[in-house]
Amino acid sequence: MSEHAVPPGRLWWLAAGFGVWCITLVALYALHAIGCAFAWSAGSLRTGLVIVLLAGLLAIAALWLGMARAAPDPALGQPGAFLHTVVVWTLIAAFVTTLLTLGPSLLLATCV
Amino acid sequence: MNAIAGHPSQSGRALRLHRELAAIWATGPGLQRLASVNHSVIGLRIMVTAFVFFIIAGLLGMLTRIQLATPQGAFMDAETYNQVFTLHGSVMLFLFVIPMLEGMAVYLTPKILGARDFAFPRLTAYSYWCYLFGATIVVGSLLFGVAPDGGWFMYTPLSSNTYTPGVNADVWLLGVTFVEISALSFAIEIVVSILKMRAPGMSLDRMPIFGWYILTTAAMMVVAFPPLILASILLETERAFGLPFYDPTRGGDALLWQHLFWLFGHPDVYIIFLPMAAVLSTLIPVFAGRPLVGYRTIVVAIIALAFLSFGIWVHHMFAVGIPHLALAFFSAGSAIVAVPTVLQMFAWLATLAQGRPRWSVPMLYIFGFFFVFVLGGLTGVMLAIVPFDWQVHDTYFVVAHLHYVAGGAFAFPFLAALYYWLPHLTGRTAVHRLSVPAFWLIFIGFNLTFLVMHLVGLLGMPRRIFTYTGHEGWTGLNLVASIGSFIMTIGFGLLVIDLGVHLLYGRRVRRDPWKAATLEWAMPIPPAPYNFASVPHFDSPDDRVAPAALAPALARGEGYLGFTRNGWQETLGVHMTSGTPDQLVVLPRATYLPLWTALTTAGVVLAFLFKLYFLALALGLVVVGLFVLGGQSAGLAREYGPLPVGRGVNVPPHTEVAGTPPWWALIFALIADGTLFTSLVFGTLYLWIAAPNWPPAVSPNTNLALALGCVIALFVAAAGARGSLRAVASGRAPQAWIGLTALVLVAGIVAVVGLIGAVSPRPSEHALGATAAALLGFVAVHAGIGVVFLLSNVLRIGAGRVSPKRIVDLRLTRLWLDYTAVTGTIAIGLVLALPTLVAVLGARP
Repeated sequence: MSEHAVPPGRLWWLAAGFGVWCITLVALYALHAIGCAFAWSAGSLRTGLVIVLLAGLLAIAALWLGMARAAPDPALGQPGAFLHTVVVWTLIAAFVTTLLTLGPSLLLATCV
Repeated sequence: MNAIAGHPSQSGRALRLHRELAAIWATGPGLQRLASVNHSVIGLRIMVTAFVFFIIAGLLGMLTRIQLATPQGAFMDAETYNQVFTLHGSVMLFLFVIPMLEGMAVYLTPKILGARDFAFPRLTAYSYWCYLFGATIVVGSLLFGVAPDGGWFMYTPLSSNTYTPGVNADVWLLGVTFVEISALSFAIEIVVSILKMRAPGMSLDRMPIFGWYILTTAAMMVVAFPPLILASILLETERAFGLPFYDPTRGGDALLWQHLFWLFGHPDVYIIFLPMAAVLSTLIPVFAGRPLVGYRTIVVAIIALAFLSFGIWVHHMFAVGIPHLALAFFSAGSAIVAVPTVLQMFAWLATLAQGRPRWSVPMLYIFGFFFVFVLGGLTGVMLAIVPFDWQVHDTYFVVAHLHYVAGGAFAFPFLAALYYWLPHLTGRTAVHRLSVPAFWLIFIGFNLTFLVMHLVGLLGMPRRIFTYTGHEGWTGLNLVASIGSFIMTIGFGLLVIDLGVHLLYGRRVRRDPWKAATLEWAMPIPPAPYNFASVPHFDSPDDRVAPAALAPALARGEGYLGFTRNGWQETLGVHMTSGTPDQLVVLPRATYLPLWTALTTAGVVLAFLFKLYFLALALGLVVVGLFVLGGQSAGLAREYGPLPVGRGVNVPPHTEVAGTPPWWALIFALIADGTLFTSLVFGTLYLWIAAPNWPPAVSPNTNLALALGCVIALFVAAAGARGSLRAVASGRAPQAWIGLTALVLVAGIVAVVGLIGAVSPRPSEHALGATAAALLGFVAVHAGIGVVFLLSNVLRIGAGRVSPKRIVDLRLTRLWLDYTAVTGTIAIGLVLALPTLVAVLGARP
């Protein structure tokens, strides 16, 4: 089978997982700042933060499952296989990072 | 040359090819060297300049150690000490480390990736001159007693007008911004060149790991430097025109500076580390005699590290009063960032463990790295824990930590790289008699200096004090640290002598003294200005090559472009992922234009410094004119169609393809610009949420008609750009479209200037007005640059440089105007919406 080049646009997948982590972090930090600035109740602020965290985790998980289920396209050859492996592992790393760095913090007192 | 190319007729062919290429690529003698745009010349120049600034910064550091060696030292007064330690940090980080690693990247990257030069040689030269002039302004201020004195990170309100009325802070703000813009230009060029200009056949999965590291580092620079550039611009406008971005009495917030600074500052330390990790990943396999363990793992670790570094900046601000929940995000991130770092370290250790290490001077410094960086990393994880950080914040514990990571992450790997690549630069191998004692003096001196600083910090010694009474229990430790610093300095002195001995007495070597596996050794050393007499075809099953076997064939012209044509400086552009050649890149030759442009830019900076704003504006217009002038000779004067490049391959010149380097350069420039814009938007929202004295006493009021008119003008201009592009692509004259586009842009600029003039509250009265003025100013500047794009288009169309196949000029203009329309809409929308949001949601409790 003749090999096709991996489309350059696929390189953005390298940034997908940690890009969602960054967005989730910024969203959590901003929501927390707004909630504390406008004296939201602790319960509703924490609920909002948990929803944002779950949304981030679901987004990364969806990307991970989608990538992991799709085997590397054999027509893209070794570069395609390499990119697939690296993308999957960055998604896994991003999921674990999101869980560990953003999850336990939500147990703390909200605005102290 | 005869021995390299083998058979006499083959060596004759190699020699002929060398002479033809040298005639095209060589830099002329004497003053003509000021016109050089060659990456080897510029790279070496950057490194030598950076080394000079290292010596200056090191001497400044020594002055602080002399002052602190004994209690109540009378060597310097407080004011002088403030300037000395501020410059020590600023010069080390902004004028030595970043330029040095960029210099290494500029010199090495095209060679390692199999290219003849970078994508934009004139930009390389311009960036160097901007660095030199900006750095001279910063360091020169010491001679006039007006050096920056607010610490290397220049916190507000200390650096605001009230507490720093003199020009000290302006020197830092303008000089460092000047250098940062130069660094950003290098970064954009490096990203584009790595993605598009490699040896044919070098797909991304087989690119030397050095390429992955430098690509990621440069991409990080593109996103990290703009927040600092923005912060500096805002502080300078506050100091010059009274716009209260950081003044809490008028709706500003001093913490905004800290957020913007550290959003740059923390990624900066990984920008410093990653190129040195590139050095380690390149050198360790050579000295271990086996391939690097875990290539893919390292690529994942690099990407993880790059992103994580952007999400932990607040660990520099643990003591400012941010709620614990928010701090915990950054504490956890700061701990987890050790994981991708450690993955790389284990890969290096595994490579050494599975190989047969040979000990040489570079390996000594690599050992030094492991020792020092592990200690620095461990104290970093300690500092990531918030309660511990609260105890040692602003003490010498932090100073010790940062020197361990800076020394470990940069100094030791850099010295390993210096000894490893010195034969490449000089064509000689080292004598090493002085190198080993120099290493041990540096290693012992470094640890003696900075290890005890952990203790004196835990004993409560604050940073940045110019003396102490002697009753605190710090005296002995400070004396030990100062003695250690002298030992270290002697070591560096010995190293400098060793470099001199190497240059004068080193044994001549033709190529590859290390039996390396990367392409930079597949050429005679010191290298010719064109790097490769013919560009190699990369068909290795992994990222390694055999330089000794490859070099003779390349010298004989058996790769691509083993010939000269039309006096062009040619190299190849490739498909980003596969490495298949897809364009012939024709590069500009030596010119004094970058030097003149950089001198004029320096004039702009100095005019701002001396508050001659109209002169600054006038010189700024000259700079713009020089850029337009430079653009006129870019590309080729006519269409050529596919051209033979050797090995039976024909590709079109870069002017006739879609994925040409200028296109990608503008995309990455817009990513940088977009980061600056996003920082401005978030800064505006941050002040609303966190700053005191909101809402303002004066009701906000924005002219809706002018605002809508401006947005409409921007979108009409974007449509006009599309019209001109379609006209040229179909062979019709585009001048009418260009004229319409220019007209609506000018109308838009007039509308925005009208909006700025009518901003309420006035920009100097309250941060709401100041941020509105900043957002609208952003729109005006970008629309103005759009007019410059159009002017360049008209001139190049008139000169015959644009045709249906050569339309990149108009594509660039369209992209710029699309971006201006989108960001302009967001900016104007925020200016309109924010007062309403503030009014509706009411004051913060």
